[in-house]
Amino acid sequence: MNRSAIIPRGAVFLVDDDVSVQRGVAALLRAADYETTVFKSGDEFLAKLSELDRQNAVVLVDVCMPGIQGLELQERLNADGVRLPVIVMTAHGDIPMAVRAMRNGAVDFLQKPFTVDEVTGALDRALSMQTPPSRQIESSANGDLHARYESLTPRENEVFRQIVQGDTNKEIARLFDISPRTIEVHRQRIMTKMKADSLADLVRMAVALDVGDSQA
Amino acid sequence: MDKISFSDIGEHVVDEIIDTVETPIALLGGDGVILRFNRACEMLTGFSQSEALGRKVWDFLIIEEEIEAVRQVFAMTCAKDLPTHYTNYWKTKSGKRRLLSWSNKTLRDDSGAVAAVLATALDITELRSAESDLTESQAFLRSIVDASPVAVVTINDRAQILSFSRQAETTFGYRETHVLGKNVKILMPEPDRARHDDYIDRFLETGEKRIIGRARRVKAMRSTGEVFPALLHVTEFTDGERVFVGFVEDLSEKEETERRLSDTQFQLQHAGRVGAMGEIATSIAHELNQPLTAAASLAGAVSLTLKKAQCDRCDDAIILLDDVVSEIKRASEIIHQMREFVRKRKTTKSLHDVNKIVEDAAALAIIGADADGVEVKWDLSEDVGKVSLDRIQIQQVVTNLIRNAIDAMHEAPQRILTISTRKRAREIEVSIADTGPGLNKDLKKTLFEPFVSSKKEGIGVGLSISKTIIDAHQGEIDAADLESGGCVFTFNLPAGNDESVGDNP
Repeated sequence: MNRSAIIPRGAVFLVDDDVSVQRGVAALLRAADYETTVFKSGDEFLAKLSELDRQNAVVLVDVCMPGIQGLELQERLNADGVRLPVIVMTAHGDIPMAVRAMRNGAVDFLQKPFTVDEVTGALDRALSMQTPPSRQIESSANGDLHARYESLTPRENEVFRQIVQGDTNKEIARLFDISPRTIEVHRQRIMTKMKADSLADLVRMAVALDVGDSQA
Repeated sequence: MDKISFSDIGEHVVDEIIDTVETPIALLGGDGVILRFNRACEMLTGFSQSEALGRKVWDFLIIEEEIEAVRQVFAMTCAKDLPTHYTNYWKTKSGKRRLLSWSNKTLRDDSGAVAAVLATALDITELRSAESDLTESQAFLRSIVDASPVAVVTINDRAQILSFSRQAETTFGYRETHVLGKNVKILMPEPDRARHDDYIDRFLETGEKRIIGRARRVKAMRSTGEVFPALLHVTEFTDGERVFVGFVEDLSEKEETERRLSDTQFQLQHAGRVGAMGEIATSIAHELNQPLTAAASLAGAVSLTLKKAQCDRCDDAIILLDDVVSEIKRASEIIHQMREFVRKRKTTKSLHDVNKIVEDAAALAIIGADADGVEVKWDLSEDVGKVSLDRIQIQQVVTNLIRNAIDAMHEAPQRILTISTRKRAREIEVSIADTGPGLNKDLKKTLFEPFVSSKKEGIGVGLSISKTIIDAHQGEIDAADLESGGCVFTFNLPAGNDESVGDNP
C-alpha cells in the first residue's frame, strides 16, 4: 500500500455520546483512512450539518443516546431531505432495534463491539451507494427479492423470521423444538437462497419484504 | 307381746290404714273394675273414690298407647297368681301423666277364683325424670363431641376405646361400632403402635405425664394404612374408672396448604432473583459494552497502524491483536447472553384464573411486608375469568406492586391498599392503589427503568422487572397519581386465550 498518497476512502460522521467509544472508533476509522469527524450528540450533528461537506460521506450513529437518538436523527435527516447514508450502531444482539432503524431507512447496522473488517465493510458498502437507495431502485430489485423469498420452504421461512428478529440458533432451536445444528443448516440455506452475505443483508431484505417485524 | 291383727281391732281400722298410707293402693276386680281407691290414689289422680268405683281401670286411668299392654299384664297376673311388678303411666283427671311402679298381688276366694287384685304403687315420675335428664345431658355432651371439628377418642386405662366421635370416624375411616373396646394403638403407625401399651403402663405406674396436658405433633394412621400428621392433645379424668380423652387434629390439609404457599413463595423469590439479575445484567451490558467497543476499536486501530508500518514481527502482533478483538467480542457476547437469559426467558403460559392469582400473590405480599395498620380493600370483578399467562411471573408483578404500595404508605396517616381487577373490551386490567404520598416527581419518567428507586434500600429493579414481564405478556403497565392522594399502578393483559410461548420483543 502506498503510504504517501492517502486518498481517503470517504468521510465518516461518527455520532456517539460515549467519550471512550468516540476516541476508540475514531482512531480505528482514521487508521483505516476515513476522514472522520466526531459528534457527541445527535443535536450537535444536526446543528453543524449545514457546514459539513456531505459528498462521499456516511453517518455512523449510536442507536441509543441521550437527547436525539439514532432513530430520531435518521427521521430528521429523512424529513429534511438530506441524502446521507446512515449506519446505526446497536448493542450486541439488539437486532430488533436494528430492524427498526433499517425500516427507517438506515442502510446498515453494526453490533458493538465490531472488528475492523465489519466496520470497513459496512462503511464501504454504504459509500458505494453514493446516495441512500431510492424507492425506485428498491422496487426494481424487489421482483427478484420476492422470487428468492418465495423459494424458501415453510420451515426456512419461519427460521428466517426468527433470525431477522435477532434470535440465536439456540433460541430458534428451542422455539421449534429441533436441534441447533439443524437450524444452522437452515440458516446457511436461507443465506444462499436469499443471496445474503451477512445478517445485516438478511435484515435489510426482511425490511424490504416487510417480514419479521418484531413490533408485531 | 303377742302380735295382733288389725282386723282384731276392727274392720274399719284396715280401711283407716289404707287411707292413711301415702302409697296409692287400689283393689281391682278380676275384670279390672275398681273396688277400692285409697286416699293416696285420690291425691295422685284427682279422681275421688266415688268417681272411680265401678269403672274399669283402663277405661280412664291408663294412657291410650299402654291400654293393650296393661290388659295383658293384668290377665297374666290373674292367671298365674304371682305378685307382679310393672311400670306404667296413669293419667290424672287434669290430663297429666304419672309414672307408677306397681306391685300387684292376686287375692283368691276359697274356691280359688280371683276375688280381687291388690295393686300398690310407687310414684317414680320425678325419679325417672332425673334419670332422663342425665341421659339427655349425656346425649347433649355426645352431640357436642360429635360436632367438634377435632376427632375425639376416649379410652380407659387398658387403652380400650370407649367412644369415637363422628369426626374421628371421618378422620380415621373406622365406624365407632367397629373400634369400641379395641386397643387405641390401631390408630397409630409404628413405632408408637408397638410402644403405646408401655406408654400407658409407665404413666399408670409413675404418674409421669409425657403427653397429657400438652399438644404434641404425632403421626396417626387411617384405616387405609395412610399415615398422616396430627396434633394430639390428651386429658385425663376419672369416671368410676380412669378415662383418657384424646383430641386429634388432622394436620395433613393444613400442612399441604402451608407447603403450597411456601412453594409459591420460593418460586416467587427465585423468579425475583433471576429477574433482578437480568435487569442488572441488562444495565451492565449497556454500560460495559461501551468500553469494550472502545477497546476493540483501539485494538483495530493499532492493528491497522502496524499493517502500514510493515515492521519485523508486525504480522505476529497483528494476529495477537485479532485475538484481543475476538476476546473482547466474546466478553460482549457473555454479557449479552446473561441479559437474554432473563429477557428471553421462556414464559410458561397456561390459562389461569386472574382473581385467584391476584389473591394468592396478595396474600404472600401482605404476609411478607410490614403491613400493620394497612386496610386492604378488594374490588375483584367476577367476569375477568381466565387468561393465558405465566403464573409465577404475573404473581411476581402483583407482589412487587403491593409491596411498593405498602412501603409507600409507611408514614401515611391513612393506609388503604385497594386491589382491583376489571374486564375491559380486549384486556384484563389489574390495579393496585395506595394512599401514600404519590409518585416521586423526579422519578416519574424513569419509573420503569432499572436502578431507579425512591426507597433507601431499594436497588430499583422491581418495576423494571415488572415491565419486562408485562411486555413479555404483550400487556402494558403504567402508573398515575390519584386525585384523592396516593397513586395507582395498573397493568393489563390481553384477554385472548393465546397459549403460545411468548418471547420478549
